[in-house]
Amino acid sequence: MNFIIEGIRKAFQLIFSLDKEIFNIVLLSLRVSLTAVGLASLLGVPLGFLMAIKAYWGKKFSVILVNALLALPTVVIGLIVYSLISRRGPLGVFSLLYTPSAMIIGQFILATPIIIALTHSAVQGIDRRVRNTALTLGATEVQSAWAVIKEAGYAILVAITTAFGRVIAEVGAAMMLGGNIKGSTRVMTTAIALETAKGEFGFGIALGIILVLIAFGINILLHYFHDMKV
Amino acid sequence: MAKSVIKIRNLKKNYSNRTILNIDCLDFQESKIYGIVGPNGSGKTTLLNILNLLEKPSEGQIFFNGQEVSDKSYSETIKIRRKMTLVDQDPFLFHSTVYDNIAYGLKIRSISFIVQRKKVKNALRMVGLSGFEDRRANQLSGGETQRVVIARALAIKPEVLFMDEPTVNLDQQHVHIVERIIKKIKEETQTTIIFTTHDLSQAYRLADEVISILDGKIIKKVPENLFRGEIKEEEGLKWFKVAENIKFAIVSEKIGPVYISIDPRDIILSYEPFQSSARNSFLGKIVKIVEQNHLVKLEVNVSIPLVTIITRESFQQMNLNLGSKVCLTFKASVVKIY
Repeated sequence: MNFIIEGIRKAFQLIFSLDKEIFNIVLLSLRVSLTAVGLASLLGVPLGFLMAIKAYWGKKFSVILVNALLALPTVVIGLIVYSLISRRGPLGVFSLLYTPSAMIIGQFILATPIIIALTHSAVQGIDRRVRNTALTLGATEVQSAWAVIKEAGYAILVAITTAFGRVIAEVGAAMMLGGNIKGSTRVMTTAIALETAKGEFGFGIALGIILVLIAFGINILLHYFHDMKV
Repeated sequence: MAKSVIKIRNLKKNYSNRTILNIDCLDFQESKIYGIVGPNGSGKTTLLNILNLLEKPSEGQIFFNGQEVSDKSYSETIKIRRKMTLVDQDPFLFHSTVYDNIAYGLKIRSISFIVQRKKVKNALRMVGLSGFEDRRANQLSGGETQRVVIARALAIKPEVLFMDEPTVNLDQQHVHIVERIIKKIKEETQTTIIFTTHDLSQAYRLADEVISILDGKIIKKVPENLFRGEIKEEEGLKWFKVAENIKFAIVSEKIGPVYISIDPRDIILSYEPFQSSARNSFLGKIVKIVEQNHLVKLEVNVSIPLVTIITRESFQQMNLNLGSKVCLTFKASVVKIY
């Protein structure tokens, strides 16, 4: 029991002393996950939107596929990307393995189906009158699409936040593709796994607390935005 | 002579091999109010959607200010659509403020902020909601919502304003307010207003010209008490089922979906049901009284609205009022089937 109390005490000591190593790890985690989710949003939001409003051949299959991809284990994503970017892989020449870029690719693949699926369901839930109202007031197709996205704004923000929550907390792909190299690819989750295995509970707990605070902070912001809309 | 703003020639709209709209020739002149009357499912909404360029006709031509619309490019179509707008029968406000809603049409036209503010203010004045700019759309009542939707349409100063059943979901007080707004729009602007309604008296109250539509075709005059329903045979007798809990005894060879009408003069009004050969008798409450010279037109709610006409003398002798419980009786043979 003592080692837990000692771990928590050390964790607060590390946080309040603004430990450089801890904060570098946090910053790298944020940089990797925010970039991955940003890129996934650029692709996922328009795709989810189009899947909801357009009629096309194979629509049902694409919805099933995207929903199935939500259950993709992170280690499988790690394995697939690893096989592509390792030296012997087709993209080996770019030397991406064990770099933050590799982790971004892995997290991008993880986040994109989440954003597509949740945007699709958000836009589908939007009143059909939104588009018609915009059109009758003289909107072009793009302007009416933007009106629909604005109406679905909160739900799309939830989609992006959910994806961010998933990628910042994942460990499988980050470990396989980043390699957990100190000062280079060590992120919060991989650091927690390693330091805990080494018996450094204080370090692990400190990162765990920050991870939870980030998750809480994002959700508080989300609710604040929701209240503003209502 | 006033200029035609919209002309329709040989217009047809088909849905799954069924023609739901078939209009040979119809002109709408500028600055006039047109009331399109017909029962539910007669094609009124489809016609408005086609005229507002939201739907394409299957055949025929539409001319807007003399220009044929169907052969226009996408950008030209948008330009024409921006000269008109539609107030839907089930209006929608964006989840924002009243100001943002009314300014929407101006923003997408890249109108400057200063002009936007002026136009929003003026539009709100027209509908009697001055000072409502900062209200949230979801805090408005049904009547206020309808007025904001009309203000939003007026803000863009359309040449043609389509209104699909503009008072259908409103209480009596707001029906009067919206009718006054429609009259005010005619007085203060050059806008041509084309509205649909199933209330014949409203059409005559507001419109310069009433157009009757039945089964997708323009007809000379829409009869009162017009209903769409289904004829069914039960125990050897023919019944017209008009709603879930109401059916009329009729005389017909037909079976299946039809329109029927009952002349209000053929409906006898009494306080109590009475013994007679008439097979249709319904209890209801008077919901509307319109006095017309020597006659009084009464709308009685018997689960559905039925209109009857009696003389002014009978009306006075029977001491009828809004809410009076009455009985309506008519013979199966007076039900006209189309």
